[in-house]
Amino acid sequence: MSQAPQSLRARASAPKDLRARASAPKDLRARAQALAGALPPLLADAERLAANVAMGAHGRRRAGNGESFWQYRHAMPGDSLASIDWRRSAQGDALFIREREWEASQTVGFWVDPSKAMDYFSGKLEPKSQRAKLLALACASLLSRAGERVSLLASPAARPGFGQSKLHQMALALAGLGSDSDYGPLPHPHGVRGGHRLFFSDFMGDESTIFPALSAHAEAGNDGAIIHILDPSELSFPYDGRIIFESMGGLVDFETRRAKALRDEYLARLDTRSERLKTWAHRAGWHYLRHSTDTAPKAALLWLFNSLGAGR
Amino acid sequence: MIGFLSPAILLGLLALPLLWWLLRAVPPAPSRRRFPGVQLLLGLKDPESTPDHTPWWLLLLRLTALAAAIIAFAEPVLNPRAKTVSDARLLVLLDGGWASAPDWQARLSKVEAILASSTRPVALRLLTAPLPAEGDLGFAAASDLMPIVQSLTPAPYTPDRAAFADWLVQNPQEPFQTIWLSDGMNDAGPLAKALQKQGALSVVSSPSPALSLLPARIEGEQLLVPVHRVDSVGAISVPLLAIGPAPDGVEQVLWRSDARFTAGETDTLAIFDMPFELRNRITRIALGTGASAGGVVLADSGLIRRKVALYTPRDSQEGPQLVDPLFYLKKALEPSSQVIRGTLDELLLAVPDVLILADVTSLPDDETTRVLDWVEAGGTLLRFAGPRLASASRDIATVDPLLPVQLRAGGRQLGGAMTWATPKRLRPFGNDSPFAGLVPPDDVEVFAQVLAQPGPDLAGKVMAALEDGTPLVTATRHGQGRIVLFHVTANAEWSNLPLSGLFVDMLTRLSVSARGGAAAADELAGQNWLLVRALDGFGNLVDAAPAQAVSGEVLGKGERNATTPPGYYQSNEREVAVNLLSEETLPMALYGLPANVVVEGFDTRPETPLKPLLLLLAFALLALDIMASLFISGRLRGGAQVALVGLMLGIAPQADAQETTDARALLAANNTVLAYVLTGDSRTDEISRAGLYGLSRTLFERTSIEPVDPISVDIERDDISLIPFLYWPVSDLQTTLSPQAAGKVNSYLRNGGMILFDTRDAQLGAGSINGAALQRLTAQLEIPPLSPIEPDHVLGRSFYLLEVFPGRWNKGELWVEAPSNLTTTEGAPFRNLNDGVTPVVIGSNDFASAWALNENGRPMYPVGTGTRGDRQRELAKRFGVNLIMYVMTGNYKSDQVHIPALLERLGQ
Repeated sequence: MSQAPQSLRARASAPKDLRARASAPKDLRARAQALAGALPPLLADAERLAANVAMGAHGRRRAGNGESFWQYRHAMPGDSLASIDWRRSAQGDALFIREREWEASQTVGFWVDPSKAMDYFSGKLEPKSQRAKLLALACASLLSRAGERVSLLASPAARPGFGQSKLHQMALALAGLGSDSDYGPLPHPHGVRGGHRLFFSDFMGDESTIFPALSAHAEAGNDGAIIHILDPSELSFPYDGRIIFESMGGLVDFETRRAKALRDEYLARLDTRSERLKTWAHRAGWHYLRHSTDTAPKAALLWLFNSLGAGR
Repeated sequence: MIGFLSPAILLGLLALPLLWWLLRAVPPAPSRRRFPGVQLLLGLKDPESTPDHTPWWLLLLRLTALAAAIIAFAEPVLNPRAKTVSDARLLVLLDGGWASAPDWQARLSKVEAILASSTRPVALRLLTAPLPAEGDLGFAAASDLMPIVQSLTPAPYTPDRAAFADWLVQNPQEPFQTIWLSDGMNDAGPLAKALQKQGALSVVSSPSPALSLLPARIEGEQLLVPVHRVDSVGAISVPLLAIGPAPDGVEQVLWRSDARFTAGETDTLAIFDMPFELRNRITRIALGTGASAGGVVLADSGLIRRKVALYTPRDSQEGPQLVDPLFYLKKALEPSSQVIRGTLDELLLAVPDVLILADVTSLPDDETTRVLDWVEAGGTLLRFAGPRLASASRDIATVDPLLPVQLRAGGRQLGGAMTWATPKRLRPFGNDSPFAGLVPPDDVEVFAQVLAQPGPDLAGKVMAALEDGTPLVTATRHGQGRIVLFHVTANAEWSNLPLSGLFVDMLTRLSVSARGGAAAADELAGQNWLLVRALDGFGNLVDAAPAQAVSGEVLGKGERNATTPPGYYQSNEREVAVNLLSEETLPMALYGLPANVVVEGFDTRPETPLKPLLLLLAFALLALDIMASLFISGRLRGGAQVALVGLMLGIAPQADAQETTDARALLAANNTVLAYVLTGDSRTDEISRAGLYGLSRTLFERTSIEPVDPISVDIERDDISLIPFLYWPVSDLQTTLSPQAAGKVNSYLRNGGMILFDTRDAQLGAGSINGAALQRLTAQLEIPPLSPIEPDHVLGRSFYLLEVFPGRWNKGELWVEAPSNLTTTEGAPFRNLNDGVTPVVIGSNDFASAWALNENGRPMYPVGTGTRGDRQRELAKRFGVNLIMYVMTGNYKSDQVHIPALLERLGQ
């Protein structure tokens, strides 16, 4: 299990309940306070998780308009006069230009599925959404420290940014995440092109909406990763007897008289879904991870971080 | 045994298979489950081959619940009592004979149960009671009969069923129903038929009929007691006790023996192989368990083997054996007596019962004195005449002290060659003679005899005479013993009397020889017998009420009834034991009942309705079913589980129990309160309550002890430490104490509490049911050695001066702790019995019934009759006052012995 303390889940559930009566303006302030109260632990948790991931050397290994010194080179025709490093040039006859390492940060866009399906959990495990938010925020925290700009797609924190305030903003946005739909549609790839995309979802929705949206992002020049978060019960289907299965919003239901008999077919379909996501990711040069909420989040975070680093 | 009040409802059980089918066909409600993966499930098909169904155990659960409910509404009852719907009058008939005695208390409980449950007119009859005179059975309200039930006692004879049947035939009655509590013996046919003419008859019979003993007899060196049972089921062993006086005169068990019945056997013999001296002391033989009049045989002189000394003179002449004067005596006596022979010195040293001198002239003076002393001490000197005595008397002018009469010189010859007179026959015996009833055979003739000197007192000494009135046997008393003279020889020389059977009979009558068995009819005949000590139905010997003498012929018939109950009868100087049963009157198992009469077992186990139990079961099963259904549909979560189980079991904290205990403790601590132990028998408990209420009231009126209303105590549960006095009526319904309760009672007794045990049946001991229950109940209690109450015990003077301690009965003894150091203080009026106060008082007089008062202060139960009864009740109340005074003040009254010393010290 993760290091996420018990209080995280307990407090994270408060905004969910409050969301249920979101329309009442009079308790806006109370909601805001509750939200604010929930934030630091979530953030702290994410920070702690991020701190556990070893920080490697970070840089673009090429000249650019960063802040740290990269190399000196001879001035070439066309170089701006202002770019000549006179202190170095004074040591010799040639003119040198002081190049800085290129540190133009990349934009990593996070998307955490806000749909109700993500609120599902079995047993004493945390909901899938919780795990997704934790991973996203932890990853954002890591990236922010590394100077990358992070953003939360399709949310108030959609504008890329970095630093503690951005993380706070993201945490706030994550906590307020929610949707009325059973399965969330993926966001449109507008905004900054050529960034990273990290999609946290269970991808239980209709395939016909999932893949076009993913492809749109890929076509927009983004690379990224798909984190397929599932509950263990979704992976094992431990049901028997006469059961009416309902989607989390209750919009879709399905009745079976003997659930056990459907297990193999369900698992086959789930595997197919995973396989297709994986295949798509492979083709698009993205990364794919299937994560179960009963495994430790740290491994997933490490994988995520590596997958981002490998792209550089 | 289980019965149903509405058996028709049981048909509902037939619907169960239908329900089975329905439940199988209808699957359980589906559970609803949120599951995001539902999108993936859409379009999947359920395999047709596996239809869903209710699990078998759930089906079973539901069917059991339903079956339990159906059975519950059919109102099953454990030990059902026959519900008599009719309001016809009811006759409760008890055999009431000796055979009912062993389970008499159970019978009375049964009668009480019948009376308590009937609202119609009831008559209560004992078949041993005299027939009703008015031609009416005397039906009355059941509540009026209730008080007399406990006063009924079994009679020591067999009920006369035929007489009552005849009476019923001659006095036709309005229809009535009958419940007949039979003793399970003998012919029931005529009476059953007569009763059935009046209405429905049900017979209740004891499962183990009483055992009966037949008169003992002596064979060889052994005493044999035939034991008879009417059924022959199983092998049993019955203890028999031979009871007689110890050397100090106190009755005790002299010998024990077992009678063993093998299966199928109805008769067996108990063998008492005991020393001859001990055997002679037996007064009765009784069954060790299940005592009744039929279980007791009384012994009389018939069982005693006497020591008979035959004196052979020193100068005994040689002669043919058949003319030996002692030959016939020896033959007559040896089978039934211990015969010793020898010189007079040797014989007197052996202290014989009888000394026989046959044709002995006279003894030296010193020997005469010794013989006379021995006779005075109770010996019987039996003398026979003979030629030598006849010739000796010629010389004697003075009276021989060892002869009952003075003899005339010579004798007389009858029917010889030289005489005119013919041999004389015997005159029939007079009524005041010990031989009365014996019939002299015609062929007994006397040829020669010695003659008594006529005198004024001769007539009183004659026991038997010849036709012409000359004495043949004369006797005189001397001190405790007597001297008897046969005026003929002991051999056939002078008469053929010794050759006849009459001779043996006469010796028997003279208590010289023993019968070796029961008194035969001809032995009783011709005399009038007076009952001196009678057996009661329970087999106890009691002093007989004054009654008319019975003629020996009636007594000898062997039938025992109200006029000839078993017991000891006396006539003249002889006492015979008349026993209840003989070979002719042996009881047989109950027979002759019409086939349509059902004989019920004899249990008074209470009727228990099972409906609530079954409904509870059904409810519990349904609750379980709810849980199971929830479990199946997966709606059972941890918290809900606990809540449901809690709800189902109805665990409601019982706060009031604690409060009640506290209230009791406060009541007992703040007031003086008398308490009684609950027996489980509501009637007994009610008597106890009323009794202690009456006693409390009496105490309030007469003394400074002012108790509040009595409380009841459940000895297993309640705290008794604050109660000064516990009244504990003993009932065989009470269960044996648990170790905890026994510990509690022991600590109560150690710390100064007092318990009055009351067996309520006027007989303390192992014999009675309540006595056995008392033994069982107190087995674990630390009760000190007990003894009957001493006349100067403090209990007799703690308030009133009392000598007797009656309750409803006045026979039972009161037992208290045995005194340990009996010392007499100089000048003190009483002995210092023991410093301690007895922790228990054990009585049997049913004190509570005598104390009992109702709310109006009227006595509730009858005690005795008339003025004597009132007096007895008053004494019972006084005993109660004394007892509570004793509880409160301990041995304070004993300490009064020190008052003189105290006054002296004060200088007064």
